[in-house]
Amino acid sequence: MNSPFSGRRALMVEDEMIVAWLLEDMLTDLGCAVIGPAGNVNQALAMIEAEAIDVAVLDINLNGQLSYPIADALGARGVPFVFVTGYDEGRILDGYRVFPVLQKPFHRSELSDILAKLLAPKEPGVEPVIAAVAKESS
Amino acid sequence: MPSEKDKSKEQKAAESEVESFRKDLGPFVVAAETTRMAMVFTDAKESNHPLIFANDSFLQLAGYSRKEVLGQSVDFLLGRPADPAALTQVEAAFAGSSESDFEICFHRKDGTTFWANVFVSPIRDKSDDVVQHFASFVDITKHIKEEEHLRYLLDELNHRTQNTLATVQAIAVQTLRGAANKEVVDAFEGRILALSKAHSLLGRKLWQSAGLRDVIDQILQPFGLNDRRVTRFSVKGNDVPLSPKAALTLAMVFHELATNAAKHGALSNDASGKVEIAWQVESTPQGDRMRLRWQESGGPPVPPPGRKGFGSRLIEGGLAQDLDGEVHLDYDPGGVVCQIIMPIQRQVGR
Repeated sequence: MNSPFSGRRALMVEDEMIVAWLLEDMLTDLGCAVIGPAGNVNQALAMIEAEAIDVAVLDINLNGQLSYPIADALGARGVPFVFVTGYDEGRILDGYRVFPVLQKPFHRSELSDILAKLLAPKEPGVEPVIAAVAKESS
Repeated sequence: MPSEKDKSKEQKAAESEVESFRKDLGPFVVAAETTRMAMVFTDAKESNHPLIFANDSFLQLAGYSRKEVLGQSVDFLLGRPADPAALTQVEAAFAGSSESDFEICFHRKDGTTFWANVFVSPIRDKSDDVVQHFASFVDITKHIKEEEHLRYLLDELNHRTQNTLATVQAIAVQTLRGAANKEVVDAFEGRILALSKAHSLLGRKLWQSAGLRDVIDQILQPFGLNDRRVTRFSVKGNDVPLSPKAALTLAMVFHELATNAAKHGALSNDASGKVEIAWQVESTPQGDRMRLRWQESGGPPVPPPGRKGFGSRLIEGGLAQDLDGEVHLDYDPGGVVCQIIMPIQRQVGR
């Protein structure tokens, strides 16, 4: 299938199996090669170590564990990602509110719009959000 | 900070002042000293507004002895370093020459905190100059904690609702995949997502109300409401607070109207079709009523549906039954027109 995301490698982090299946279908339909799902922080960190990843979709609450360490690991590698949550955006930890968020449940077109932004070729001179945050926190 | 010597001087002055109160106002001073309402008087003639009187309830609430508080500046209960916003609030209240009322977090001597509703009122002398301030404190810590807990529970409930709706979406899409045509799957998914958007809006407002403009914004966004390339929508009317039930029903109704317009009506062609949404609220002896009009134009003519599907049932039945409103849905050759007349609660209470 000819899609703007053909061959892009997408990590998905989602602890709820049924929801993960839908996300996997959405990502596959958009042409992504899916890595995961990772259902907890350690699984995700291991996948980030082992695999080449272009973009990631991160559920914030993984059965009580929060996925911020995964966000940090992705940020350190310069991998763009989007948070997914059923909580109000106001509940996101300070310092992580600059990242894009998809409210659960979402339509595939919302996912597609976000991925297009995350995977857009960087304009010269425009600093990606992740690099700016890494600089701030160092 | 005043030195020990200054402090004792101030304290002496304060004590003599209270002594003179006692003479003038006898029973009132006894009442102030023994009431369960925590209260203090401060000296408005000194720039730091030192305490010149504190009753037993205040001392009990703050956890200090009388000796420790008299002569202290009024902001000593804010802790160190004091929160700048709280400090500004307290200073403004005691600098002012009118009454003020605010909620603030104070620190006890032992380091614990309490929330108080503070009422500050200036006291004037015969020549109308503010000479003292009177402040009373109601401990609202329990109330604030309960509110925080309620907020937390509501957040959890919203989270679970949204997760459940995400699971319903996932089950439906996967169950129907291959078994039903894509149109059916899309229709189902769209309705679940519209419901979830309305839930999310209401969740943010503690399920008290949602604004009509927010409902329209959330629901019509996927249909190109804020598309900068082409203007298809015009939305006119002052925001109206909607009860939770009205917000949910209207969200579903707008979703059906827009889906129908995208499939058959003004949003189905390239760019020439438009949707105008306009409303006003009018007062009647029975209360406020909203008249809202959804008017399509520039699209192909839409034939009325052969049988009543979920969409038209929801549009015509939902509002009439759920919201005690009236709906007129016309498949006019110039474009679909939907008129909604419904009661609006003037103030949406808890």
